[in-house]
Amino acid sequence: MSAISPATGAFGKRERAALLDPILTNNPIGVQVLGICSALAVTTRIDKALVMGAGVILVTMLANLAVSLVRNHTPGSIRIIVQLAIIASLVIVFDQVLKATLYELSLELSVFVGLIITNCIVMGRAEGYAMSNPPGLSLLDGLGNGLGYALVLFLVAFFRELFGAGKVLGFVVLPLAKDGGWYVPNGLMLLAPSGLLLIAGLIWLLRTLKPELQEKD
Amino acid sequence: MKALENLLARAAPHFEPGGRLSRFHAIFEATDTFIMTPPSVTRGASHVRDSIDLKRMMTIVVIAMLPCVFMAMYNTGLQANMALDPMKLATLTGWRHEIMRALGFGYDARSLAQCLFHGSLYFLPLYAVTLAVGGFWEVLFAVVRRHEINEGFLVTSMIFPLTLPATAPLWQAALGITFGVVVAKEVFGGTGMNFLNPALAGRAFMFFAYPADISGDTVWVAMYGVNAVDGFSGATLLSTMRSFTTPFDEASASLSWANAFLGFEPGSLGETSALACLIGAAILIVTKVGSWRIMAGVALGTIAMALLFNAIGSTTNHWFAMPFWWHMVLGGWAFGTAFMATDPVTAPFTDRGRWIYGFGIGALIVMIRVLNPAYPESVFLVILFMNVMSPLIDYFLVRGNIQRRKRRVQA
Amino acid sequence: MSRLDSPRYTFIFATVMCVVCAALVSVAAVSLAPRQKANARLYMEKNVLVAAGLVAPGQNVGLGDVERVFQSDIKVRLVDFATGKLVPEGERNARDYDQRAARSDPAASREAPANDAGIKRVANRGVVYFVMKDGKVDQMVISVEGLGMWGTIYGFLALDKDAVTVRGITYYDHRETPGLGGEIGNPAWQAMWKGRRGYDDRGNARITVIKGQAGPPETDPLSVDGLSGATITSNAVTRLMRFWLSEDGYGRFLNRFRERKEVL
Repeated sequence: MSAISPATGAFGKRERAALLDPILTNNPIGVQVLGICSALAVTTRIDKALVMGAGVILVTMLANLAVSLVRNHTPGSIRIIVQLAIIASLVIVFDQVLKATLYELSLELSVFVGLIITNCIVMGRAEGYAMSNPPGLSLLDGLGNGLGYALVLFLVAFFRELFGAGKVLGFVVLPLAKDGGWYVPNGLMLLAPSGLLLIAGLIWLLRTLKPELQEKD
Repeated sequence: MKALENLLARAAPHFEPGGRLSRFHAIFEATDTFIMTPPSVTRGASHVRDSIDLKRMMTIVVIAMLPCVFMAMYNTGLQANMALDPMKLATLTGWRHEIMRALGFGYDARSLAQCLFHGSLYFLPLYAVTLAVGGFWEVLFAVVRRHEINEGFLVTSMIFPLTLPATAPLWQAALGITFGVVVAKEVFGGTGMNFLNPALAGRAFMFFAYPADISGDTVWVAMYGVNAVDGFSGATLLSTMRSFTTPFDEASASLSWANAFLGFEPGSLGETSALACLIGAAILIVTKVGSWRIMAGVALGTIAMALLFNAIGSTTNHWFAMPFWWHMVLGGWAFGTAFMATDPVTAPFTDRGRWIYGFGIGALIVMIRVLNPAYPESVFLVILFMNVMSPLIDYFLVRGNIQRRKRRVQA
Repeated sequence: MSRLDSPRYTFIFATVMCVVCAALVSVAAVSLAPRQKANARLYMEKNVLVAAGLVAPGQNVGLGDVERVFQSDIKVRLVDFATGKLVPEGERNARDYDQRAARSDPAASREAPANDAGIKRVANRGVVYFVMKDGKVDQMVISVEGLGMWGTIYGFLALDKDAVTVRGITYYDHRETPGLGGEIGNPAWQAMWKGRRGYDDRGNARITVIKGQAGPPETDPLSVDGLSGATITSNAVTRLMRFWLSEDGYGRFLNRFRERKEVL
């Protein structure tokens, strides 16, 4: 496995930190507050959030790997453009694959798949981590950050789909009043601001659980 | 009275810092000052934006709202009684009608008492739920965050149900006031720190979360549907006028402005009567609790924008021709101007800022009403929007002032 | 570092990078294009079948299923809006005709006549899906669109062989407010259209989404239940339906079909 660092030959502490830190303690959305825009737009349903999450995981992972592989050969003056070209290519490929396989979902995700290119997380990890770390670690870091992003997306989408439509992954959990059940769906959950409110709530929760995240003012 | 005083005095030490129940000091303090005169009266600035004694100020606002409360009960009952088909009295079901029967109240639209009582069965439950649920959150945050329970909530809890339609489900009102108190106020640090008006934020939450129960033509009159007389529409004057298909003068000829001014029309509980709001506004202005600059600003903005639209004119949108005196009696204009725009915490605190803020509210209300068919009732959204703007208005005015003085010093 | 910073190396590196990325992207785009095209058509044709009631909304159907139904039961033809005549079958493959694309192609479309449905351009030709039963036309599915509250609403309308009675409807692409106008996408509401009549007895397109509840189709055939709290979307649907049933839309063709001047 290429993810194993050549120095120790084992899945050591650094590897674990690269993979796990961004999932909770340094979550890109919850702590660094990056990638919010797409998190608002694609979280009305869990399936949309999962596909979007998968896209970001793949792109951050592969972009980190590719950027790290060429990092010692990249001229400093054009490194940002090189990173962008790599990321953009990966995103376009992902978008094409999505249109060829999950067409209806790709219609609903519409421009937001393309906008992974501008997702701050992807760019940030490529420039901030992959440019100065070996490929194996970079791959893990990309995977970890992608997972951290996907986790938040999933949580937000879970609450939005559950309270906005009474469903989880398309299965009816709270039968709607208009279909003979009892639950009156919360329309706000289907509008973008609710994503902002839920993310704010998650950040609030995260900071209450981990007081070391709170800035001193 | 003496016994009560003794009881409170005996209990007091337990709630002091170090006492057994010090955690619940906020609850004790609230009970104590609610019943007795507080031992310490605010002398300096009670919160960041204003320097009047907070407790007295809030009481005056509540008093100023009483005419609206009266109209909320009377008009709700009146509208329901007028809509009710007398032939269908026997088909009425539900606890409200059980109570009316048990107490021998009828459904006569001409009887003040019968209308008042019928309407109170809609307003009072909403008010009680708001008080109980909102109060619960107030107390919870006061205890956890160790600050005092604030009288501001008495105003919030009074405004909130008055902005709702009579038929609003109680559980939705509970969610709405929860959102208003927790997300719009306590998250930012409680009264004085909130940049949004909590009652309005709660109202906006309900509007977007449960639009079918909070807007449309079927929610305003409690007797809509099977029990109503044939041909009864139930639409608010605002939405009736919004759907005019003939020129304004012609279409509005049959509508009575005076009736709209007095408030005998379907609409949100406390918002229909411009007269009741005017009385409230007068009380607020005379006691200097509400800013007359803001109210005048709203009126000016409305007049200016309405005149502008009158001058532009339109052949397809007949609302362009609506004169400003109609704008002022429709929807939540009067209520919003008197009680919501003037909330001292969320409005600017510079005098010039208040003019700008008010003018912006008035102009935007008219603009959204006329141009955006999605939100004919725009008042609460506009005020929330200007709430967000008000720190910015203050910031620029203060900075401008500083720079002017600097120049004067240099000159 | 001097090697990396020389303009020559930078230029070569950039070129190689571009070639590699471009190759990756073009391979993906070219190799996946047939699948994507098939998907796009499948999506439209599935919605045609939904409107005709041959597929339940939300039912998972594959390319093969749709293809089978289209081969056996569906005949796709084009209609010239101006004359109301069917375009001869051999002229072009109607299944590959993209009405949405044609509308924005100046050569294949014209400016729409004045209308209240917010339609600016109309394609010269419209697609009609004939659903066959025992060799005879059973229903016809036509494509409709018009401006809603927040954007264009796209849908399909299935008419009975009498060219008047509505058999089914679907709105598959719209931007209406979720929970209010967005309910036009709700299969329960769409089912209420079944059995209504697109035209009154004098042949005028009069179907209306009213305020409140409509009676059963037998007694109240020209009305459909309104969407509560969504007057604007309801009116938009009324207008766009009337537009496409009128002479500016499919009206001429439907007339000729009724008079048996157009037969398959």
